[in-house]
Amino acid sequence: TGGHTTEILRLLSCLSESYSPRHYVLADSDKMSEAKIRSFEQKRAETFSKSQFSLDRIPRSREVRQSWISSVLTTLYSILYSLPLTYKRKPDLILCNGPGTCVPVCLSAFLLGLLRVKRTIIVYVESICRVETLSLSGKILYYFSDYFIVQWPELKKKYPKSVYLGRIV
Amino acid sequence: FRFKDSLAEELQSADLVISHAGAGSCLETLEKGKPLIVVINDKLMDNHQLELAKQLHRDGCVLYCTCSTLVETLQSMDLSALKPFPPGQPEKFASFLDKVLGLQ
Repeated sequence: TGGHTTEILRLLSCLSESYSPRHYVLADSDKMSEAKIRSFEQKRAETFSKSQFSLDRIPRSREVRQSWISSVLTTLYSILYSLPLTYKRKPDLILCNGPGTCVPVCLSAFLLGLLRVKRTIIVYVESICRVETLSLSGKILYYFSDYFIVQWPELKKKYPKSVYLGRIV
Repeated sequence: FRFKDSLAEELQSADLVISHAGAGSCLETLEKGKPLIVVINDKLMDNHQLELAKQLHRDGCVLYCTCSTLVETLQSMDLSALKPFPPGQPEKFASFLDKVLGLQ
């Protein structure tokens, strides 16, 4: 969604073409991100002509302020929905920055790793908005990601296993 | 207007921006080097949106007030005391990823 998309595209801006092809996963209810992504990839294709990307949509796992119990159920449904997608793409690397959409995708990849189907490196970058507390996605994925990046020193103190690189967006 | 895809044009020509505490609004404004007054909704005190606005205020990059103190703030503000907002560095992220993935 909006802010998350802008942030993640900034994170991608300095990556080399080794990070290709890029598969974007969006919530089915997200109307604005697709345009931003296409614009980003179009510009990129001007420099790297062989650039490849794809877009997939999954059901939104949780609405803002949705109740706890129903969130668990909708997230489980989203994980099941994500499994065939993650299995098909078998990504070497998953990059995410906190929208609810990323939790089922990461957990499905984690599951495929446990089942020895595909080992995916999961890199989570907490949003720059998070100075003192982690988002709910962050609190969950702190335990499932290979690298958990925070952008403010206070979070590094509270979550010692995280990586602090300063502000990166 | 209600909704526009981008406020970039308006931002470019503004001398002062008064905004809510949304991260996108704050960052976009500061990156354009415009002075910013953030108005917080004091009825939503536990809103995590405030975290960034508070930090920016601590760093001296924005002015901070509530709806009720806005007029006072406008009257007594000293915009020259605001510090510039250094841009983020996505190159550091790229280096880090290259390193941990062995792609150097």
